Amino acid sequence: MKTVTRKPFSKEILHIEDIESFCSTLIFKLRNDIAKNLQRRGGIVGISGGIDSSVVLALSAKALGSNNVLGIMLPEQDSSNDSKILAEKLAAKFGVNTLVEDITKALDGFNCYKRRDEAISRVIPNFNPKEDKAKIEIKQDITSNLPPAFSITVIKQDDEVISKLLPVKEYLQIVASTNFKQRSRMAMLYYHAERVHYAVIGTPNKHEVEQGFFVKYGDGGADVMPIAQLYKTQVYQLAKHLGVPQEIIDRTPTTDTYTAEQTQEDFFYQMPFKSMDLIWYGWENNYSPQEVGKIMGKSTQEIENIYKNFERKRKTTDYLRMKPIF
Amino acid sequence: MLKETEIKSKIRGYIIKATFDDIKKITDKTLIFEEGVLDSMGLLFLIEFLKEEFNVTTNDDELVVKNFESINNIFEFIKSKLK
Repeated sequence: MKTVTRKPFSKEILHIEDIESFCSTLIFKLRNDIAKNLQRRGGIVGISGGIDSSVVLALSAKALGSNNVLGIMLPEQDSSNDSKILAEKLAAKFGVNTLVEDITKALDGFNCYKRRDEAISRVIPNFNPKEDKAKIEIKQDITSNLPPAFSITVIKQDDEVISKLLPVKEYLQIVASTNFKQRSRMAMLYYHAERVHYAVIGTPNKHEVEQGFFVKYGDGGADVMPIAQLYKTQVYQLAKHLGVPQEIIDRTPTTDTYTAEQTQEDFFYQMPFKSMDLIWYGWENNYSPQEVGKIMGKSTQEIENIYKNFERKRKTTDYLRMKPIF
Repeated sequence: MLKETEIKSKIRGYIIKATFDDIKKITDKTLIFEEGVLDSMGLLFLIEFLKEEFNVTTNDDELVVKNFESINNIFEFIKSKLK
């Protein structure tokens, strides 16, 4: 009988030992996907100054040559100014040409901001969109054995913070409105891709894809997703190896979607990336909650609840990953 | 004031209507989230139903398993809010 052995669970289990050869494999695959499978002559990458799009741009430049990659910045009125500065620095580092397409007017045309602000005002009547900042967040602990519910937080100009649980109708309207942002970006990326016969290279990582932290036909709309199999800590490891500027590596990942500062942890993941990566790996590879809990300094019950949370997130977001049914 | 059986029947009726589930599958003790009868959007719609049907508003700090785990628990939650 064949005995299958596997590594005991540890905090180093996701570390890529031979990063050089790992990168070469990703680069070779991306080149092959673009040239042979998709039959395109280059790649378009939407760059935000975030870690994921930076690693994808670096991989694309190495796979296709800098001249065959176009980085597109897609700011809108709520985007942080840092995003553009960092994205420019990144493109310069890898010798990639860039374009800026401000999508604010397109979003205005869709009434994106108006529809979002109407919904926020129904929950917080004294919300003033011209002066106040707003964001959506999950306040429950990830170990709670109940699905998450979202709250709206408004930060008034005088720093007063008002937070309320979002009723379902308003929650859905806010999300549907802000999703215009990702979908408008996707439309613009495909405009440029078709204009020069390139492929759109998507930037979601493994958590975004598998936990459904993306917009269907928005940032989920791309021809190839080279880092969709990678955990966030592995994306950071790649970033260091590929020479992504340190300011980008040091920046806290944000959604850059709402007017108030909002980390991805606040909005969706409910726990730090390092822990989430490891526990997700444990869950995906059937490590017992006891074994994982021991290493992570959590009780077996806490890990069991986190496993349930992961399972629920994947199931709830199946719809996002589904192709049209016919 | 509605009777316990009426409240539970209204909740059960809502869950069945919302999920297209078999009426026999859902008892007052069924763990509706643990067993996947309702998901996270289901929780949000359930909160809305409690507001519309019983005028019960749920606050952030009341979003705990104890209040929503089963029809029995939801009934206890409503009862405590209507006191």
